[in-house]
Amino acid sequence: MTTSSTQTRKALSKIAQLRLQKELEEWHDPPVGFKHKVSDNLQRWTIEVSGAPGTLYANETYQLQVDFPEHYPMEAPQVIFVPPAPAHPHIYSNGHICLDILYDSWSPAMTVSSICISILSMLSSSTSKQRPPDNDLYVNKCRNGRSPKETRWWFHDDKV
Amino acid sequence: MGLIVQLSYVIILSYFQKNYTVLKEGDIRQRQEESISHVSAVLSISRVAASTLLCHYKWNVSQLHDEWFADEERVRRTVGLLSRPVFFSSAKELTCGICFDSYPRHQIHSAVCGHPYCTTCWKGYITTSINDGPGCLSLRCPDPACCAVVDQDMILRLASDEDKEKYSRYLVRSYIEDKKKTKWCPAPDCSNAVEFEVGSNVYDVTCLCSHAFCWNCTEEAHRPVDCSTVNMWIMKNSAESENMNWILANSKPCPKCKRPIEKNQGCMHMICTPPCKFEFCWLCLGAWSDHGERTGGFYACNRYEAAKQEGLYDEAERRREMAKNSLERYTHYYERWASNQTSRQKAIADLHQMQTVHLEKLSDKLKEPESQLKFIIEAWQQIIECRRVLKWTYAYGYYLPDHESAKRQLFEYLQGDAEANLERLHQCAEKELLVFLGNDDGDTDFISDFKIFRPKLAGLTRVTRSYFENLVRALENGLSDVDSQAASSVSVSSKNAGAKGKGGKAKSSTSRSARSGARNIDDLTHWNCDRCTYANPDSLTSCQMCHNRR
Repeated sequence: MTTSSTQTRKALSKIAQLRLQKELEEWHDPPVGFKHKVSDNLQRWTIEVSGAPGTLYANETYQLQVDFPEHYPMEAPQVIFVPPAPAHPHIYSNGHICLDILYDSWSPAMTVSSICISILSMLSSSTSKQRPPDNDLYVNKCRNGRSPKETRWWFHDDKV
Repeated sequence: MGLIVQLSYVIILSYFQKNYTVLKEGDIRQRQEESISHVSAVLSISRVAASTLLCHYKWNVSQLHDEWFADEERVRRTVGLLSRPVFFSSAKELTCGICFDSYPRHQIHSAVCGHPYCTTCWKGYITTSINDGPGCLSLRCPDPACCAVVDQDMILRLASDEDKEKYSRYLVRSYIEDKKKTKWCPAPDCSNAVEFEVGSNVYDVTCLCSHAFCWNCTEEAHRPVDCSTVNMWIMKNSAESENMNWILANSKPCPKCKRPIEKNQGCMHMICTPPCKFEFCWLCLGAWSDHGERTGGFYACNRYEAAKQEGLYDEAERRREMAKNSLERYTHYYERWASNQTSRQKAIADLHQMQTVHLEKLSDKLKEPESQLKFIIEAWQQIIECRRVLKWTYAYGYYLPDHESAKRQLFEYLQGDAEANLERLHQCAEKELLVFLGNDDGDTDFISDFKIFRPKLAGLTRVTRSYFENLVRALENGLSDVDSQAASSVSVSSKNAGAKGKGGKAKSSTSRSARSGARNIDDLTHWNCDRCTYANPDSLTSCQMCHNRR
């Protein structure tokens, strides 16, 4: 689904490459619960997430796909779960994640690690494995390969 | 021309105080500067800090003062005006928090908070933010946990010229767009704004660019019709719903593939377009293969009649019929609305032509100063204004409920009178004036003819104005005159009183032509009232309608 949008994406800028290489070095010692799947593609990372023990997602693993735009880190990366995505009130079945730092509240001082930590904390604080109420409608709208960054998100709930 | 059109407004609105101010871009910047100086002086802070605060408080100086003096710390926290840095380091080299490279101290910049970022990253951060929109006016330190504001000085120091320009436009825009009592003039290419006196109920304003618009809804000026009617009407004109009604009225869905099919003329044997290609009868929508001699011929398709009797087609048929009627009704009003709009555009062009070309020539020919020919300009201004009012009364008429027949009668009566007079005035200004604009010098009748023309045009202008004033007044009070049972007093608008009397006297004659025919009786047994033009029997010495003495 996201392949089409990545193919048309412009190559990384020099600044983006340098910064990603630095981030990649940091990932030799990844944050707890994450594993970077090594590949040659600097512009698309695949990261394995393990649900934290004692939470609803304990003993489950999911794949995060992170695509970087030309002007990373000035622009936010696109982060989605590769389906099957965890059942969560802020995660759609197509893998799109409703999390403000991925869109409006992104800051270039954030990193892939800080995003991962936010996502894990979002999973850990969940009290029910439910899809967002508008899941079917939204997923249907995205069928033409729309990126979550083209969505106008409403971040109305910071409890979960 | 701009000024002239505006003047015509002043004439029309002479009984209202001007309740708005037009602000040019220079005025806006000046006001911003004044507010910044004021706040900076009163709060003893830098101009840059004052500007940041004013942006946050939507340029509301008094609210800013109140909150600042109530709790300065809280205001500083919300806006991000820290009083001391939160990040210290005495190292010679610092790591940029965005690209993670190390730089010597002098290549590192920070907002008041002290978080270190290199020049390149700051530039990227600022450019991205400016290109994202007006949010750049409240830019914060890139550190997600820090709320320190990135002030104007820093932005202007690091942004490209193009971005600085954009930033300063956002700053000007914020002054107009964040405040409740200012709005941009909606005319294309106009950069003026209008400040409106809140509490006034006359919303029509005219910008210095000559565009007249409604301050409330920013559509073009539409007094006396209210904003919601105008809005409905504009929506209606653009709405797909009219097309839908047309499709309903003039087409039927193919019984097989359900696509709408339009039938112009011709036989009832329909063949849907490929790929469907279904052949069917237009009348009964049954398959054509079922038709033939047996069914009684195509033009009297008895299957259809039978089905209709059974009530099968009634609902759809009734909807089609209703849609057709409503479309006709809408077309009636739309045509008149649109043609008044066209006439108005033409009149604006004619007035312009008159002012730039003809007036001077005419003044030479008549050997009169141009100031003596002001009545011609006034006539055209009156025409332009009346076309505008008349145009919107058609939107009003469309939405006037059918069951309010008394109101509808009064409305159509007033509108009809106003329109008839406007036509006479427009005709006179357009056609009769033409004679005097030709090149036939030396015509001895020229000057004497003009002597007759002058009072005629001036008189028509005056009469038309008063008819439109009546119309505007009546619509503005919701045609409420028909509700009042009180006898018509002299203070009540004479035209309204006239309509009331007529409605009561001759209920059967509802068509306007019949009524206006009666009024224009020219024979010796009647006299026309000077004030309300009502045709009174010769035996009376004061007007039956408005009690004006003969």
